[in-house]
Amino acid sequence: MNQFVLDHSRSDDQYLRLFPHIKEIGVIKNSSIRLGGFPYSPATDFEIYYVQDGKFEWCVDGNVFYAYPGDVVILLPGAAFGNPNGVLEIGSFSWIKIEGDGIQQNRYWVPGEWSRLNKEEREQVGSVICSGHPPILQKFTDAGNILKNIQAELSAQSVGYRAKVNGLLDELLIHIARQFTKVTNPGRDFPRTFMEFEQQLRKNLSHQWTVEEMAALIGMGTTLFNERVRSYSGFSPLSYLINIRISQAIKLLKDPDISLTDIALDTGFYSSQHFSTTFKKLTGYTPSQFRKNHLKDK
Amino acid sequence: MECIITIELGTNAVRVYAFDLQGNIIGSLKGYCPTFHSEPDYSEQDPDQVFITMLYVLKNLLTEKIHPKKYKVACICFSSSMHSVLAVDKRGNPMGKAITWADNRAIKEATDLKQTTLGDKIYKATGTPLHPMSPLTKIAWIKNNEKDKFKQVSKFISIKTYILQQLTGEYMIDYSIASATGLLNIHKINWDADALKFAGINSSMLPELVPVFTRAGKLSKAYQTSLGLPASTKILIGSSDGCMAILGDGVNGEGAATITIEDSGAVRVMGDKVLQDDQHRFFNYLLTENRYVSGGPTNNGGNIFEWFTRQFGDFKNPFDIEHSMRELISEASRVAPGSNGLLFLPYLLGERAPIWNANARGVYFGVNIKHEKAHFVRSTIEGILYGIYSIGKTLEEHRKIDTLCINGSFGSQPFVTQMVADIYNKPVRLRQNYHSVSYGSYLLSATEMGIFKSLDDAAKTVSLVDMVTPDKQAHQTYLKYYKLFARLSTKLSGEFAAIAALQH
Repeated sequence: MNQFVLDHSRSDDQYLRLFPHIKEIGVIKNSSIRLGGFPYSPATDFEIYYVQDGKFEWCVDGNVFYAYPGDVVILLPGAAFGNPNGVLEIGSFSWIKIEGDGIQQNRYWVPGEWSRLNKEEREQVGSVICSGHPPILQKFTDAGNILKNIQAELSAQSVGYRAKVNGLLDELLIHIARQFTKVTNPGRDFPRTFMEFEQQLRKNLSHQWTVEEMAALIGMGTTLFNERVRSYSGFSPLSYLINIRISQAIKLLKDPDISLTDIALDTGFYSSQHFSTTFKKLTGYTPSQFRKNHLKDK
Repeated sequence: MECIITIELGTNAVRVYAFDLQGNIIGSLKGYCPTFHSEPDYSEQDPDQVFITMLYVLKNLLTEKIHPKKYKVACICFSSSMHSVLAVDKRGNPMGKAITWADNRAIKEATDLKQTTLGDKIYKATGTPLHPMSPLTKIAWIKNNEKDKFKQVSKFISIKTYILQQLTGEYMIDYSIASATGLLNIHKINWDADALKFAGINSSMLPELVPVFTRAGKLSKAYQTSLGLPASTKILIGSSDGCMAILGDGVNGEGAATITIEDSGAVRVMGDKVLQDDQHRFFNYLLTENRYVSGGPTNNGGNIFEWFTRQFGDFKNPFDIEHSMRELISEASRVAPGSNGLLFLPYLLGERAPIWNANARGVYFGVNIKHEKAHFVRSTIEGILYGIYSIGKTLEEHRKIDTLCINGSFGSQPFVTQMVADIYNKPVRLRQNYHSVSYGSYLLSATEMGIFKSLDDAAKTVSLVDMVTPDKQAHQTYLKYYKLFARLSTKLSGEFAAIAALQH
């Protein structure tokens, strides 16, 4: 086995000194099967694996698959990963582990302050990466090339390498986010994309959605997203969201055991006051009047 | 100045139009409303979301186009898609979602009933083909499969009934929508005892049956306030999208038919007699006591070309399917009629009229080594339109058809319209930027208001200004392929069943 790993554990931490967010970067070439060499265990950070050679039987969160040269495996913190039998198979791959912003959370990650992306873009990239895509991106050699460049920059340490490495990391993240959205919606079926998008809103109705977040969810720029949603649905993205919120509130109002405040917060209004005003503007009824009308036998 | 507002409750969108009393459009808005497919055979709408969408769109149209110009809303007229079923409890609250026309869960109820003499009797009395689309079979399905829920149901209503009940408190169903439930005796205009018995309900579980000109109660106080409309605003119950599409084209009586091709499609005629077809191929829906809208529906219209485009379009502009469709159509236009011997059966979604075979599937037939992509594009469109033609042919066994009108987003594209004219060998009329269903609702409202003496008079005023004339030579070519198309469509029924079984 031939392995080259950089991390912060050694005292002569010269390579990663300027990069506290890169927890580990490495490449491995393995020429004989090693039992116990690749245990199935939870990822500590945001981790990217790129297969250069060989065929690996890997498992992420209980799903077993084969990774071939050119494939990339993306892991969120907490995702269980490894060979199902703990075996390190023959072949070679490289990897990088990147720490996230702020408190470590399970299955959640956004790029930290080191990134050259502004806050909004970082959140967009993070929300695409965290939105529940399958962990493998097939034939994604761009990612492998960027990883190789990062390693080269780190070993050479030429002038300006700090900016160069962080720039390459940003590029890698953007590539991954774009690849994820390209896989889930190849731009052919807007009705289906819209349906998936609106299911996401429904699943997380209490979240304070912004248009930027919604656009990122389906991997479009905000302007194009606005225009497409408007021409397809007749609503702006935020009006459509309000529609779903009120439709859901109507259903909840018919259950006398849920308080108006709970309904307001569950359906994403800031407060019961905000809920009441919006509801009345559209229906003419306050939520409590509406509730009273619908609890009578007819 | 007075105006008329029409509201169409469709399975994908709510469309609101405002007309002045002469029928000119003052404004229009639409709002998307999703159809949910929680199981492969299911197709449902959330009644509350339809209601909220309707309110939202109506309110926006009023505040943008009507109130600022001081129009007085004389009348709001409703239309909706047919065959929807919503179960409500004793408080009038929905028990789950509304089941739409496209829902196929009741396939067993429909197939079983079709094989009995009771089925024949019910079809002849109600005019609605025995098919899972029919509320008759859907209610029977709930009775057979959701026994506990069925016991709790206070009423089975249509989506339009629900929307109007929210606005005014009244439970009503108009003749047109009622005649598409499979529960209405269209000759006597009352609920059919055999059908009710099969569904397991009695007439008190259905809304009050009323003519299309009926005022469906008064807008409740809260909505008067939120919409800024006076109590005197007339709420007209209106009709169905199908009946309004033919009225809006002014097609009435012998000699004329109208073709609608949206995602799905239909060919319709209107007259004072029911079309009795021993093979149960047609529907007969009621517009008024003496006006029947008859015809056949197809599952496979513009949605099939959209499917083709999604697979083979270039999508140079991401998400812009219209652009890719235009590109493909221009490719198809460079191929001669008949696609050099490539023939397409469009039954990707099974088929209703005229073959009524849920197992039917798509076929490209006669592919040879010289066929290119452009031939596939053209033959796909030709196949969809042969399907439309096959409905027209069966209608012509009962009715003379000299001229055609066409509407719908797919049907009104110039390349498609010309091909329809050529295949039928009949002149085809249409009007661009014209929404037949909404205009039909305008005519109905204006008739109720006394602007026209009758619907017949109203229909006569419609002029579809654009006419496309058939190309005789192309017609001769299409006819040869159509014969083969018709033969294959019936001949393959055993093979359709076999492949459908493998796909399940």
